[in-house]
Amino acid sequence: MAPLDKKIKKFLKNTIRIAPKISDKGELAELRTGLVSQYPQTRKDAIKQTIKQMTLGKDVSTLFPDVLKNIATNDIEQKKLVYLYVMNYAETHPELCILVVNTFVTDAQDPNPLIRCMAIRTMSMVRVDKILEYIETPLRKTLQDDNPYVRKTAVICVAKLFQLNQELCVELGVIEDLKSALGDENPMVIANSIAALTEIYSLDESVVDLPNLIQTNTDKFLSALNECTEWARVTILTALSEYQAADSLEAQNIIDRVTAHLQHVNPAVILATVKVIIRNLPSIDGAKRDLIMRKLSSALISLMSTPPELQYVALKNIRIILEKYPEILSKELRIFYIKFNDPLYVKIEKIEIMIRLVDPSNLKQCTLLLNELKEYAMEFDIEFVSRCILGISQLAIKYADERFIQKVLDILVELLEPGQDAIKDSCCEAMCNILRHCPTNDAMCKQVCSILNSWASPVTSLQKDTAKCNYVWLMGEYPQYFPGLSDKIDQFVENFTQESSLTQVALLISVVKLHSTLSGNTLQTVLELATHDIMEVDVRDMAMIYWRCLSLDDSSALVEQLCNLHAPVINCSIDSFTPEVLERLLGQLGTISSIYFKPMDHSKHKRLQHQNIIRGKHIDELQNLAKNELESKNNDDILLDFDSESVATNTTGNPQNNNLLGDLDDLFDFGPSTTSNSTPTGDITSGLAQTTLNDTNSASKPSNTTATQDLVDLF
Amino acid sequence: MYIAWGLRILILGLDGAGKTTILYRLQIGEVVTTKPTIGFNVETLSYKNLKLNVWDLGGQTSIRPYWRCYYADTAAVIFVVDSTDKDRMQTAAQELHLMLQEEELQDAALLVFANKQDQPGALSASEVSKELNLAELKDRSWSIVASSAIKGEGITEGLDWLIDVIKDEQM
Repeated sequence: MAPLDKKIKKFLKNTIRIAPKISDKGELAELRTGLVSQYPQTRKDAIKQTIKQMTLGKDVSTLFPDVLKNIATNDIEQKKLVYLYVMNYAETHPELCILVVNTFVTDAQDPNPLIRCMAIRTMSMVRVDKILEYIETPLRKTLQDDNPYVRKTAVICVAKLFQLNQELCVELGVIEDLKSALGDENPMVIANSIAALTEIYSLDESVVDLPNLIQTNTDKFLSALNECTEWARVTILTALSEYQAADSLEAQNIIDRVTAHLQHVNPAVILATVKVIIRNLPSIDGAKRDLIMRKLSSALISLMSTPPELQYVALKNIRIILEKYPEILSKELRIFYIKFNDPLYVKIEKIEIMIRLVDPSNLKQCTLLLNELKEYAMEFDIEFVSRCILGISQLAIKYADERFIQKVLDILVELLEPGQDAIKDSCCEAMCNILRHCPTNDAMCKQVCSILNSWASPVTSLQKDTAKCNYVWLMGEYPQYFPGLSDKIDQFVENFTQESSLTQVALLISVVKLHSTLSGNTLQTVLELATHDIMEVDVRDMAMIYWRCLSLDDSSALVEQLCNLHAPVINCSIDSFTPEVLERLLGQLGTISSIYFKPMDHSKHKRLQHQNIIRGKHIDELQNLAKNELESKNNDDILLDFDSESVATNTTGNPQNNNLLGDLDDLFDFGPSTTSNSTPTGDITSGLAQTTLNDTNSASKPSNTTATQDLVDLF
Repeated sequence: MYIAWGLRILILGLDGAGKTTILYRLQIGEVVTTKPTIGFNVETLSYKNLKLNVWDLGGQTSIRPYWRCYYADTAAVIFVVDSTDKDRMQTAAQELHLMLQEEELQDAALLVFANKQDQPGALSASEVSKELNLAELKDRSWSIVASSAIKGEGITEGLDWLIDVIKDEQM
């Protein structure tokens, strides 16, 4: 053959495309024809089409064997496409992947590092423990690979393997490889092995002694830090934040070496660095500490010029830091002033920060903030405005000077003047909070009560439970300032059963306090309503106890005592963390825990990770699973013609049926997509019922606790 | 044209018959240590100016149903039998005939390797042929060759025959 001829043939081979045949069997059949076409380019197009359908969310798993045939190619692009497909189904359809195992093993020895890497990565994603014996050789080889890109992938695979089968992973001794990878010359490999070890540690603390490893490798981490990618830095910094420095010199050294990362572009790196510094800060003192604080504060401020979503995360983290080091941003109040185009969630978080940030001994700053908040309170968004009004009251209580508080009250009155009903809720709450701070100031009480008393029908104009409850409490506390008291109380009592529990409790307390001044029936009505018509246990119990106290023989002294009880004075209306929670949150800055203010719970973490694994199944069983799966999805267009014999036993044999049910449950376990083809069995429905039950339980819990907490407050 | 792009040849047979060993004997001329194939191996090799795409499919019971996914456009099937495994000869015969009934394989040539001749107690080629009922086959070019993948005997002879048949049929 002439060379030109050859060239032409090669060109033709690589370029010929066959237009997809329109098949009456539907799109899948069309794709299948393309996938097995003899023209390479057509096959490649078909793979692309298949992946397109897959990313659109269509189930193209029935094409698995056909797509798989195309994995044997020298064309790296095509290989990547097939791997992409395999990876997508590796997690949800592990049973199909038994067809690929051999290819993985071969590809893990490919001369091309990219392919080696894809092979080992995908192989460890197939969550079937029976194929794990095949992973040993490739994993060992890739762990010792010349190419750092392959090594960094292989170390992560060790963690995946551990998740799949702890015993095997320990037996193979690859964890030792992982530990020695901490001393690798490539920073990416170091970072990934830290990540892998952390993952393993969180699954089982007995296997690796992570804290000790971190202690001994700190120097390596610090030197790797400057050369790796941003995400690797986050991992390394997180590991460093676990490190307990031996003395102040060492702490100083660590801080010096990480400080440069405070100026990184990526906010995650900044937060991770802040975490390391804060961890080491307690052992530093004097002038050095001030210097570090200044650097920290400028880093936190730089986070305020990020997009709103990141700002939100930053603000949440700042709130945690402020709780520990209130002085850190004391001069930077202005940074947190609200911009007109901030989204609501950022605005509200900024108010939280400003209230905490303001220095209660600095009148000028407090006045500035007060004016700022007043300005905000004149905006339109109700949620924001009510937060501002509450913020104003929090500020007043924080500053704690009666003249200042008077000023605050004047502002609230001013805000109320236009007569909007919507802000009455928050104003009522704010004023009552202020009164609870200075219950002895008669003039102020008089002023507040006369304002509130002038509202025509508080039952309807107040919307929120908390506002109503405050209003009722106020009536019980200062009856002398409410001229039409019994009418107002009667209005509330009429509505008693429709109110929420806080208001009901408040009403109960107030009516008991005022029982001598109110008309005879009111007390009786309220007690009866509360004990007969209310399902809320707290309210019922409370009513019961009051009733018994009142009906005791020599109750007058006791009742007297009850009526003269006053709520404790509020000195701080800003929420804070308990010391333990604060310490744990400081160690988890920059994680999702720092956003929810809920320290991570390791036991839950563990349970979540075990869902997708198929254990203890032989390959035969898996094949059965695969068969059922493919069959059920492929009714009219049978891909695999299995022996009619085995199908018959599957559908008629009783023991087999049980097995199938079990398998269905398994399928249900690892993906909601498979439920569509399973008949609703008792197990599944009861499972669902259980989850919904759990949901309602968890939903009702918090409200209960808050109710009881408020009860405690009221007492 | 078809030939220039590579002929598709399948190596099939029960597990442990020596398919993977034969494939690599053809590809690199050496004996490699193998593990049971889960899935498949595929290699491209040039033989007498022909480009062959040789697919070696796993022979375990669980993987056999998937064989049929690979039947399309197949020029020839190499069926490997473990000549020492007398107990499973019937199973092998069943699998073979089941496979040959497939529409897509009607034009494919069949080469049977009576493998593992180096081991004591191995049946001879004609005995294997009888066990497999090869005489029943109609309208198909087939041949049986005694072989030992470990020693490298019989492999090239078999392949030579196969290539000749394919050349006759396709050209």
